Amino acid sequence: MTLRALGIAIVLLAILVMPYWVYVPVLLISIFVFPFFWEAILFGFLIDVIYGSGIDGFSSFISPFAFSALISLIILLPVRKRLRAHV
Amino acid sequence: MKGNFLQKNRLRQPHTRRILILLGIFLAGSILFNIFDSIVVSVVSPIWRAENSVSRSLRNIADFIGSQEKLIKENADLREKVSSLEIEVMSLSREQALEDTLRELAGRKPDPETKIATVLTHPPQTPYDIIIIDAGSSDGVLVGKEVYLPEGPSLGAISEVFSNRSRVKLFTSSGEETNAVLERNNVPVVLHGLGAGNFRLTLPRDTAVEPGDKILSPELSSRLMAVVGEVIIQPTDSFKEVLAKSPANIFILRYVFVTP
Repeated sequence: MTLRALGIAIVLLAILVMPYWVYVPVLLISIFVFPFFWEAILFGFLIDVIYGSGIDGFSSFISPFAFSALISLIILLPVRKRLRAHV
Repeated sequence: MKGNFLQKNRLRQPHTRRILILLGIFLAGSILFNIFDSIVVSVVSPIWRAENSVSRSLRNIADFIGSQEKLIKENADLREKVSSLEIEVMSLSREQALEDTLRELAGRKPDPETKIATVLTHPPQTPYDIIIIDAGSSDGVLVGKEVYLPEGPSLGAISEVFSNRSRVKLFTSSGEETNAVLERNNVPVVLHGLGAGNFRLTLPRDTAVEPGDKILSPELSSRLMAVVGEVIIQPTDSFKEVLAKSPANIFILRYVFVTP
């Protein structure tokens, strides 16, 4: 639980002060490392809300980062146990 | 009689509950973040301000400690100034004086109510070519207003306005299309944003264009928008592809002007 809270803090800090090439991989790694990391969807929304979404049309009704996080989490649900022992 | 049907059904869809939870979070997030987006931006802005000042202070401390590093900083500052002056010189068109005279005669003088704004965050922190500035609706900023550098080059337009913040979409944003004029022949062109401060445009094969040519905004008070970097031409094509870059380094923006 402490590790998860630490992970959340690191992802949040990365989103707020780091370049996108740092926080996007950090978010992706967190989705892989922490089991059922639903917070990633909220972080996806946060990224799109504070930095704006650059994909016109698609982003007008769906947040691209949050949607990507949702898809990654759904795909990982059945795959996770076969890939590795999680934290 | 076997009684394990329920168990089998459960095993077939072991993740349905979690998928539903994720979809619920996604839907709730979509609604909540859309409602409270201006509040979220307002909450985050002080963090960006603090980050900017902390990084500047740390840089100053480091300079104070090592004179060698101080020289390096001085060198960097001078380089930045030279680059800024270069942009200013580039943005001064050959016919600038004539244009100014014409504007005065037509009664269209530059507006003195131009607003200056600090850039709170810029690429690469933002994943797209978007910057956030500390001027909003309370400062009279409106959606669609032009944003440009103090040295002159045009950067983008206001895409969203909050009470004290605004989001600026740069012309170089991927997928963004902007009308412009190639200065060499006064040819109207359409700049396609590629991201990271780059543009692409297509020209007829016979149109003369060379690296270093300036691309200006089409309005009367034309501003520098891009500088031609590379011209790609295939022997079989009737068009040539031109890659251009923004004269401003979008990764180190500090202040911008907003038209009223």
